[in-house]
Amino acid sequence: MIFTVWKKEVHSYFSSPLAYVMIGLFSLISGVIFFNLLVSYTDGIQAIPQNYATQISFVEEVVLRLYANVNFLFLFFIPLITMKLFSEEKRQDTLDLYWLAPMREWQVVVSKGLAALTLVACMLLMTGIYPLIIWGIGIREVTLLASSYLALLLNASAYISMGLFCSSLSNNQIIAALGSILGIMFLWMITWGGHLNSNFIVAEIFTYLGISSHFERLMRGLIGTQDIIYYLTFVSFFGLLTVKSLGRRNW
Amino acid sequence: MDKVLVVDKISKEYPGRFAVKEASFEVTKGSIHGFLGPNGAGKSTTMRMIAGLIPATSGSIHLFGEKIDPLNLSYKNKIGLLPENPPLYLDMTVENYLELIARFHKVKTVKDNVNKVLEGLSLTEVRKRLIGNLSKGYKQRVGLGQAIIYDAPFLILDEPTNGLDPQSVVELRDYIKKLAEEKTILFSSHILPEVELLCDQITIIHQGKVRATGNLQEIHKKFKQGVCVKIGLAVGEKLPDLSSFGKYEITHHHSLAIEEQFTISFQSERDMRPDLSKYLVSSGLTLMTMQNESPELEDIFLHVTETKK
Repeated sequence: MIFTVWKKEVHSYFSSPLAYVMIGLFSLISGVIFFNLLVSYTDGIQAIPQNYATQISFVEEVVLRLYANVNFLFLFFIPLITMKLFSEEKRQDTLDLYWLAPMREWQVVVSKGLAALTLVACMLLMTGIYPLIIWGIGIREVTLLASSYLALLLNASAYISMGLFCSSLSNNQIIAALGSILGIMFLWMITWGGHLNSNFIVAEIFTYLGISSHFERLMRGLIGTQDIIYYLTFVSFFGLLTVKSLGRRNW
Repeated sequence: MDKVLVVDKISKEYPGRFAVKEASFEVTKGSIHGFLGPNGAGKSTTMRMIAGLIPATSGSIHLFGEKIDPLNLSYKNKIGLLPENPPLYLDMTVENYLELIARFHKVKTVKDNVNKVLEGLSLTEVRKRLIGNLSKGYKQRVGLGQAIIYDAPFLILDEPTNGLDPQSVVELRDYIKKLAEEKTILFSSHILPEVELLCDQITIIHQGKVRATGNLQEIHKKFKQGVCVKIGLAVGEKLPDLSSFGKYEITHHHSLAIEEQFTISFQSERDMRPDLSKYLVSSGLTLMTMQNESPELEDIFLHVTETKK
């Protein structure tokens, strides 16, 4: 059942120009960012004395910055991907088709979430050229590159779960997208709040609750249990909220 | 007769109001059961409760002896629903859409079922077309296809012929009649002659309450008060006072090009035609036509929905 709904959603994405425009735009912007980072890096290397040049880390200046920027792009791209998942079906009254079938709410939520993640994975696949270029330059940081992609996929899953929830609340796609954007921004702001707070315990709680600290650790290859638990809890929490939101018709 | 559906005192309460209040009725196997009521009467809410899309606040619904509960999935393949606005994926082709719905319902012979429905509903020629590009008539047929693709033995059709052109209406009615040979159908419509044409049983709902339910003939009998006579007089002639025949009421009067048509209802149960014709002729009037009328469903519907407010 999950496969059937997933297939339908993926078909729906790729049968409209939306998916191609998103992938194209995402590739273009991330390409421009990568190019600029490379240019900045080479300019920086040339501008400083030879002795200090080795101290400028390519990984820090280009690789990690690139993927941090890709994560920033998610702020706009993922809400655009998730906004229609439930809103459009609510508007067209097609949600009933799921409830008329022997299907549970969680199956629909998981299917739609996986479909959105598939599109994000396709977008990330297009950025696969950068690791090849980086490899060609001579930076053989396989673990770092792999963990960066893992971090991006986990972050995308978290944003998608939030986007799904927002989409389940309204039959207006714009409101759903705005809700997701604000939600993602709030997640980032929690981490900033942690950095600004002088109380150690409060700061630690904020840092744990915010997504950025987990993303940064994962991106650097520091895959910790607490980070994996954080993402699992986050996705499950919003998944459950979405299931409850869809179950409102039973109230 | 086997009872396929038993609706027992179901209510649906929203904050501050009842959409449906203690509605009870039964649908027997193999029948087309008409479900009538003015807009906002609670028809769609009741139909959605029966389909398990929303739960009833109180009361119970049993389909094939099994209790309908939105949390229970076992009855889902036994009900097909065509809502008033068919739930269609406009960006899908007709064939893909029907295949998808069949897969939703875990149909094993997807291709066979799709071909059968496409043929039955004359959709074969548009099978590869996007639903969004089809006419309203075709969309309605695709919607019906969605309800029958998994061969549910009980169908709920909410105003299926609404907004269709006359030819499509006739085709769809014929198809519904054909479906009724194998299935039990709960059918709502605003077109009362259509209900009379298709249905053997009816339920009339008004302001959330069931006002009348049962066999169409029994309901006719129940609401038949006195006799109704339709007469035609020559153009320009007026009906004289008929109080010598007891209490009467002129329910309709049409001035046509060829005659003046009157429909008169008498409280008396006897056949009024012999005495009435003699009286009218002796009064110097030209009697063109005369026939007994049974109360139409429309009259019953109006009676039920107006007098019990």
